[in-house]
Amino acid sequence: MGVIGKRVAYYPGCSLEGAARAYDVSTRIVARELGLELDYLEDYNCCGAMESKNVTFMGTLLLNARNMSLARKQGHDVIVAPCNGCSFSLQRAEYFLQTDSKIFERVNALLKEGGVDPLDKIPETYHILEWFYHEAGPQKVKEKTKRPLRGLKVANYYGCLYTRPHFYARTYAHAGGQDEEARPRRRETADDDEHPYYMNALLEAAGATSVEFEPMHTQCCGGPHSLSDEQVSEKFVMMILQTAKRNGADIIATECPLCHASLEMYRHRLMMKGVPDVDVPAAYFTQLLGLAFGYSANDVKLKDNLSDPLPVLKRLGLA
Amino acid sequence: MAIHERSLVEPERIVRKERLVIDGVDVSGDWNLIILPRVINDYDLDFAKEIINSPDGKTITQCYQCSYCTASCPVHNYWDERYNPRHFIHLARLGLIDELQKRADVMWRCVSCHKCTHRCPKGVLVEEVLKVILRTMAKKGLIDEYPSKKFDKFFTESVLEYGRIEDGELLFGWIEKQGYNVVKDPILKKPIPFLGETPEWLKQLVMKPIKSMNVSFLVLNAKHMLFHPRTKNWNKFKQVLRKVMQEEGALT
Repeated sequence: MGVIGKRVAYYPGCSLEGAARAYDVSTRIVARELGLELDYLEDYNCCGAMESKNVTFMGTLLLNARNMSLARKQGHDVIVAPCNGCSFSLQRAEYFLQTDSKIFERVNALLKEGGVDPLDKIPETYHILEWFYHEAGPQKVKEKTKRPLRGLKVANYYGCLYTRPHFYARTYAHAGGQDEEARPRRRETADDDEHPYYMNALLEAAGATSVEFEPMHTQCCGGPHSLSDEQVSEKFVMMILQTAKRNGADIIATECPLCHASLEMYRHRLMMKGVPDVDVPAAYFTQLLGLAFGYSANDVKLKDNLSDPLPVLKRLGLA
Repeated sequence: MAIHERSLVEPERIVRKERLVIDGVDVSGDWNLIILPRVINDYDLDFAKEIINSPDGKTITQCYQCSYCTASCPVHNYWDERYNPRHFIHLARLGLIDELQKRADVMWRCVSCHKCTHRCPKGVLVEEVLKVILRTMAKKGLIDEYPSKKFDKFFTESVLEYGRIEDGELLFGWIEKQGYNVVKDPILKKPIPFLGETPEWLKQLVMKPIKSMNVSFLVLNAKHMLFHPRTKNWNKFKQVLRKVMQEEGALT
């Protein structure tokens, strides 16, 4: 424990300052309780998510390089992002900047032109779950838990980009590729690539029970196509929700605002259509941890969740 | 030698004769079934070159057609068998544009879950390569407008303009692009959620925080919808981004 650093740059991403406010608020609560410090990245810009990389390669790298440069300016080597899309984009930029010196030089020149400090060093990006697990860990969560989530059956939903692809997230030890030297090395702190367990471990430490959820725990929710390709997204979300429900879950724990929004949106649409077994509500894992640490439902903004997990939690006496 | 995978039957060429008798022999039925030439001589090698020369598409050369990507792909497994990443890579490398065009209706369906890239034993950035194939086809005018491209552009323009995105704008802007008649206020030109035409599910979702009297949530999001969050000192950076995109031919 203690590999990443207790004080890091915090890149919340656009979503967390709007519709996913609950995730931001509860993340701050959990970090404070676990004795960790988030340094808000001032004046950041959007990471480009999964969309702008299909339009422009260099532009997307620049968007992320600007955020990296801001983190360096605030004196950080590590950026932590709570969103799968954001951490993916930053890690992707990290990969291309590290493996191609020409790209690195070009990006630095363009940053200067745009009035931003060029990068002296490429900061590393971690998902916030990885950071919580390694800097605090299940033991600390157990110590801090005042109101254990006893009886709560959770389906831990990780989504796609938390451990994938290994080139960017650096989760896989025996990665392929022709050039041995160019292969990214596995990160010490990385979660298991096909069977991630950090969220299970943290929530179990807080007293919850994890239900069997493989392979849907890393199944796509439609992601960048959740608005543009409704049929596919609807089917994927249906598979996720039905698996959770049929395996006995009371609630789905999420760790990405995009997955969360997609699950909630299509949950509602599926319920309107009368599809069976899709009525599992979703909550951010930080909200559940916050409840376990003794905070009220109002503190972790449970009302913001459109899928309304309050009745389930109230029934178990947790909120 | 590469496996020559191209469709041998072209549905539009099939001729159906209900009753056809020639010289006393009944030959009615489907004609022109497998009479396409099997020799390929319409390669377009420049197409593959353009992909290889792009920084995110250069790993296409490493593919050895094991089909691990296709086996992992959720779109292939749960949606449409015709979505086949391995095959697309093969066709792009051969430069069989007409075969790629035949699959244009499924090619854009990649949901960027990166299972293919993650599991590829040869280190091909499969997802990126597929997007580069699509991008190159679109640039050359070989493929019609497809929904995800429309959304990608819409998203990128919003980032370019403000430095940040805003959920309400994305949602209502996209609804409007889909042909719904969204009513906007006359001064700020922002959509008003309860007037005009919106899908029923969206109406119900917007009603939820109102019914639960979640005032702070409503105020925050209404504020963001009216006054788009911006990154400070964005203008200078925006110019650089625009310049880069112009070089790449991404701005039209």
